[in-house]
Amino acid sequence: PPETRAAASARPRSGPAPVTDVARLCVCDLLVAQCDVNCCCDPDCSAADFSLFTTCSVPIVTGDSRLCSQKAAIYSLDVKANPPERIFQLIDHVNPSVFCIHATNYKQALSFSSPEMPTAENFDQLLKEFGSASFSAEPDSWNMNTDAQNPSDANDTYRYEYGVPIQTVDAFLRLPSPVVSSWCSDANPAGFLVNQATKCIRSVSLEKCGNIEEVSMLFYINSSILAVNITVRSIVVQSLNGMRTLLNGSDVLRLPTILDELCVNIVLGVSYHITYTDAGEITEAAAAFVLGAINKEALSIQQSFEISFTQVNTKPVPLSGNPGYVVGLPLRAGFRPQGYPCPVEILFAALILNTNKYSQLTILQSTSNQDCLAAQGARTPILFGYNMISGCKLRITAAMKCQPLTQTLLDLLKGQSFPEYVASFGNSQAQDVLNWVPITHLHTSEQRIYNTFQSSCQIPVSLEIEVKWTKYGSLVNPQARIVNVTAMITTTTLKQLPSGRERTIPITSSVVFTDISSPAEPGYKAWPTINAKLPFDFFFPFV
Amino acid sequence: TSLLREILNNSYQLSSVPLQLLFYVNGIYYIFYFLATLAMIVYKSQVFSYPDDFLGPDLALLFIMAILEVLRLYLGSNGNLTEEEAPLGLSLVITVGSVILSVYFLVWQTYVLKADVIINAVLLFTYGLESVLKVIAIAAFVS
Repeated sequence: PPETRAAASARPRSGPAPVTDVARLCVCDLLVAQCDVNCCCDPDCSAADFSLFTTCSVPIVTGDSRLCSQKAAIYSLDVKANPPERIFQLIDHVNPSVFCIHATNYKQALSFSSPEMPTAENFDQLLKEFGSASFSAEPDSWNMNTDAQNPSDANDTYRYEYGVPIQTVDAFLRLPSPVVSSWCSDANPAGFLVNQATKCIRSVSLEKCGNIEEVSMLFYINSSILAVNITVRSIVVQSLNGMRTLLNGSDVLRLPTILDELCVNIVLGVSYHITYTDAGEITEAAAAFVLGAINKEALSIQQSFEISFTQVNTKPVPLSGNPGYVVGLPLRAGFRPQGYPCPVEILFAALILNTNKYSQLTILQSTSNQDCLAAQGARTPILFGYNMISGCKLRITAAMKCQPLTQTLLDLLKGQSFPEYVASFGNSQAQDVLNWVPITHLHTSEQRIYNTFQSSCQIPVSLEIEVKWTKYGSLVNPQARIVNVTAMITTTTLKQLPSGRERTIPITSSVVFTDISSPAEPGYKAWPTINAKLPFDFFFPFV
Repeated sequence: TSLLREILNNSYQLSSVPLQLLFYVNGIYYIFYFLATLAMIVYKSQVFSYPDDFLGPDLALLFIMAILEVLRLYLGSNGNLTEEEAPLGLSLVITVGSVILSVYFLVWQTYVLKADVIINAVLLFTYGLESVLKVIAIAAFVS
């Protein structure tokens, strides 16, 4: 808000002025507007309270006792009176010593000096004076740094730090999230540079279609981040059966309306994408929506929200570890395009709804319907450290031809774009060729007996990816480093079936991570040697 | 008899004996004053917060006062004994400077302790008495 900015850049303030009047000073007055027990100097106590005290915890309040003459406030309880009452006396306290301070011409002599409050202008000078092992007695110059930046410019954009809630014109940018239960709460502010992804349930009904504002697009792009408007990057419409289509024109604001007994244009997901500069200012904000529809039976919908931050002029490359791979993060893989000496990472074009997992190296995902040919290309990314196995059943009929079937199965097992290189470290850059490990391909056949007259069809039935990794770096904090990746395809002979017969064979794919770090070897000290030299003159008379 | 009368009359001796006595006592007292003030400044610098740009002037003025005092007492004593009014007059002028310095140590010092007040008051009283006697002596010498 502008007022905090103005206050923050005000001139250096000092703390509150010290209280020096002994009649008003009370160190036992700790409770505000309440009477402290046995505190005779507390102004909040009444005569009735004083009659209940047993003693005065602070009997005398004086200034510096080294002064020759000073005022002193004496508090005591007169227990003889009925009821007991407090006696307050203000007297002059005389120091009998001949070395008492009669006068002083140095103002800061007898009290602590209030330290200067650091602000943007005097911070450098204070740091020079107090920032080293010993304080310098007097700073070199007291003038303010004239070429310091002026942060209190009204037109300046607000600078953020990590974790600070992003401010909009009225409050904060909100990312609805589940709080205690799974129901959405709108009070979760989005923090700067904090990537979040949340899913929560919101209750809806067909009758209140246009009235619930949290399911309409307007709610999410209405609040403009200070000086930056939220633009709509893309809109995906999801139908009742889950099919998603990307809309061409994304400028139109689609509000929930009732259409054919369905409430359409309900917000099912929002993905914010904020661009920032390295000074901490937000330059751009875009939102991608997934809109859906509900019918009259629907009582609640699940909304998913996401926010991600990108520095301006950089392309975000997600790391899977820094430098070693982190268990659970996807393997990074790439291929070397024709003519380029360096591997280029496969980067999916930013999906409409970022799914956080990057499909660089994937294996077949088992589906509930275990038919390989109807698998619909569902794949799951390979995560470091997680051994996976998946499979499907292939129904072979007589009519299937060998070569197309082989190709289909290879596509099924390997996926659409099987990479050639895997990153050795979680943070390997695409330019460093040496940090990338090539994938070794092996072919084996299931039949042990190798028939040299192999004219029959060999179809791949299993893909096994073995990732060998080792521990790298210090013993205290070992980093995982991939050393070798082998993709082994096992083929089997496809015997020709008589027509009308069918056969079902299982197709499997698996990923295994093997730790090949060498174990610790015991070390021994050198064997002790026997120092068996006789003294020089042992055979004295004869030598 | 004239010699006897002169000895008895003291009429040829214009030097003031009380003034000479006072110079002597002043010298001894000033040594005590100087040592006491120096010791107290050292004590103050240890016990209180005494930054360098307050300590420096105080010490400098004390040493200047000591030098002035030596000069003053020498000139005064010399002038009184030789019955010359010039050194005695110069001594009177220097006394003014010493009085100012004593007032500084009484009022404008960084820390004025009660002991400071006492010894500076005594010193000022001595200076006052001395000045009166010097004026009388100068009047006697001139005439």
